Amino acid sequence: MSVSEVKAGPLPHVTTPSGERYEGAIDLSRVREAHPSLYDHRDEITADGNTAAAIATLQMWRCVIFAGFPITPSTKWIEYVAANLASVPGGRRRVKLMEAEHAVADYMVGAAASCRDLIFPTATSSVGLDHMTETTRSLGASGLGNVMIIDVYRATANFPLCIEGDPSDTLAHRDDGFIQICARGKQQIYDTVLQAPCLGMHPEIMTPTMPGYYGIKDSHRNARLIVEADRDIHEFQDRWIFACPLPGLINGDTAFGSCVTSRHFQGFKVAQKRRLDNVLDFLPLIGSDFEKQFGRPGLRFFDEAGWSEDGAADIAVVGMGPDFGTFESLRERYAKQSGLKVAGIAIRLLTPFPRDAVRERLRRAKTVLVVNQAHHTGRGHLTLDVVDALSDLKAPPRVVSVFAGLGGADVAEVTWERMLDHARESVEGKALPPYAFFHEGVAL
Amino acid sequence: MSSYKEIALRESCFRPGSTLCPGCMESIALQNIGRVTDNGAKTVFTIGTSCAEVSSLAFPNVVAWGRGDATPDDFSRSFSIIHNVFESAPTLAEAVRDVSDVLTDFGALERPVQVVSTSGDGGAVAIGLRGLLHTIHRRARVTLIVLVNEIFANTGFQYSPAAMPFAETSTTPVSKEHPGNPSLPLDYIHLCIAAGAGLVAQVSPAHSKLFLKTIERALECKETAIVFVPAPCISGWKFDDGETVRIALLGAQSGAFPAFWWQKGKGGTVLDCSRDEAERPPIEDFLGAQRRFHHLVQREPGTERFIARPDRADAVAKLKTWVQGNVERLYRLAELK
Repeated sequence: MSVSEVKAGPLPHVTTPSGERYEGAIDLSRVREAHPSLYDHRDEITADGNTAAAIATLQMWRCVIFAGFPITPSTKWIEYVAANLASVPGGRRRVKLMEAEHAVADYMVGAAASCRDLIFPTATSSVGLDHMTETTRSLGASGLGNVMIIDVYRATANFPLCIEGDPSDTLAHRDDGFIQICARGKQQIYDTVLQAPCLGMHPEIMTPTMPGYYGIKDSHRNARLIVEADRDIHEFQDRWIFACPLPGLINGDTAFGSCVTSRHFQGFKVAQKRRLDNVLDFLPLIGSDFEKQFGRPGLRFFDEAGWSEDGAADIAVVGMGPDFGTFESLRERYAKQSGLKVAGIAIRLLTPFPRDAVRERLRRAKTVLVVNQAHHTGRGHLTLDVVDALSDLKAPPRVVSVFAGLGGADVAEVTWERMLDHARESVEGKALPPYAFFHEGVAL
Repeated sequence: MSSYKEIALRESCFRPGSTLCPGCMESIALQNIGRVTDNGAKTVFTIGTSCAEVSSLAFPNVVAWGRGDATPDDFSRSFSIIHNVFESAPTLAEAVRDVSDVLTDFGALERPVQVVSTSGDGGAVAIGLRGLLHTIHRRARVTLIVLVNEIFANTGFQYSPAAMPFAETSTTPVSKEHPGNPSLPLDYIHLCIAAGAGLVAQVSPAHSKLFLKTIERALECKETAIVFVPAPCISGWKFDDGETVRIALLGAQSGAFPAFWWQKGKGGTVLDCSRDEAERPPIEDFLGAQRRFHHLVQREPGTERFIARPDRADAVAKLKTWVQGNVERLYRLAELK
């Protein structure tokens, strides 16, 4: 660059634990004012899940660079964003196409560290997320809550190859350090993407987010979607996203990613875990504020179905994703036919796992049926978390673990009924194996 | 262009406090780069995993980076640095460049930054070759510095794709049957030109004025500028303290890594290294100065010159052929425009 381009001179600066921050170096009001509005008023459209996620990111004024790998398996998020930006005359927002998913993740580190008050979204899936792994694990510890990786759940790379949706990719990345939120249905996808940065960028959290949804079932199928006016979204987000108290590369005199001695490594990791734990305090507040403004449920630890006021249940189902809707549709009938109290929860916050809330919800159940939809070397990802959550109880419910819907297979009504029958045997006192497989109404 | 004296008197952002080996060429290079970048523009450095990273950013013991003892009031003299993973320094630099440019486009940033990335040759042309070439391919307006010590020095002196033929490294050990590294080095200079770089150079601080001029030009380049810095490694190349600059100069003059300078549209030049082998210092002198090549050469009784060991004459002959090819290659690349 030419030195003549540079405007020299002093700027006021403040001292932070991460170095000096220069106030006024970046004037983001210029970015906010220049935002090209996508919707001037609430509207109702038909969209698939990828489009819902893309619209949400385009509506955020803090999103100015959209990085992605061109083919982003299982998501056309980048294609929708690119088409939209190309249609805006004089637009200054950019699509950044990278040569590989790993490069996308690296790029997000540099971009998010450059300006911590902008949001840097991307979308990926399955092997794409796996390819990012080296850097997602750096990002998870980075304090860069302004990174959002939208994950379209798909079977992670293994033999045999399966290109349909199951959550084995996101569940394999639960130790990356991201806040992982599962959405089901187009509306929840849209709403979750809008709320996720409010959580990740909160000064008490500063942790990147990974909202996600099931591939094919939610990513590619269309449904009704209510979109909000951009200005209302900005009003909501600006209530929760504050100027980052720590410096970025551009407005700071600072260092990121330094080597530390082992003594400092301990402290760093403790702080990382505490910030992640703070999600449990702030997520309900953000969700509640979202519901107040937009009249739809905001972020929650889990969705609930069929719970009585006293919280008692003979069978309590724990699942996630759109197949839980099939359970919801047959729950009442099954309960009536069996004479059992049947309820359930669909987990939304995968990481950090809402241990206390899950325990309190399930504490009066006789049997908990946990439905795992991803391969796991043990009893199932969700099962282990649920068992851990219940371990504080003096007389915890029995936990029945099943696998169903692997590789993105639909969990059909007959499969749900067969799994509930299986759990019913536990209610009746029969000892069951540690786990069982179900598909098309048959125990495998 | 700034004068040599003017740059020499500037304050470097690479300061005392690193744990790099005494006599490390990386330290000399970074001190000089730090002075050139003290030019009135804010600098953001992205740094790949390398000796230069682990030996200079180990908080709280040694943090060698920064400009001045206190935070400067002048924003343009402030300084930021980021390390991510081994291979990502060019990609990170590109991201910083883009954010700076977008904010400038919006009128949100009045003081755009200059962006410099540094990597070792292991990070840049082994594990990071993909990222390096694609950043160049996208014409990112950043300066990439690759400190080439021809090994993964930081992790124990293992072979890298930049290693000279027959060099002894910890993964290409020498025995009676094995005369060291069996591979030819990757032609990374040609790759960078082909990928679309605006400026490609190979020069070490041993050519002090040329080095400073090259870095200054690189910072002004409107496309990606990449400077490969031959960096004799006192521990990995195994030479005596105080020999770093002499070996760097000898390596350049003898044809192992000639000083080279190329700009898109203008072509380039090979400096201080004749195309004619007879006019160059013997490569044996370069080899003899380092124990990584002592299996190839020995002192000639009586003259004290380095000559090929009788049982390694074939290897030395092959190495000389490679050196001549290396010089010829750079002269031909210099003709490209």
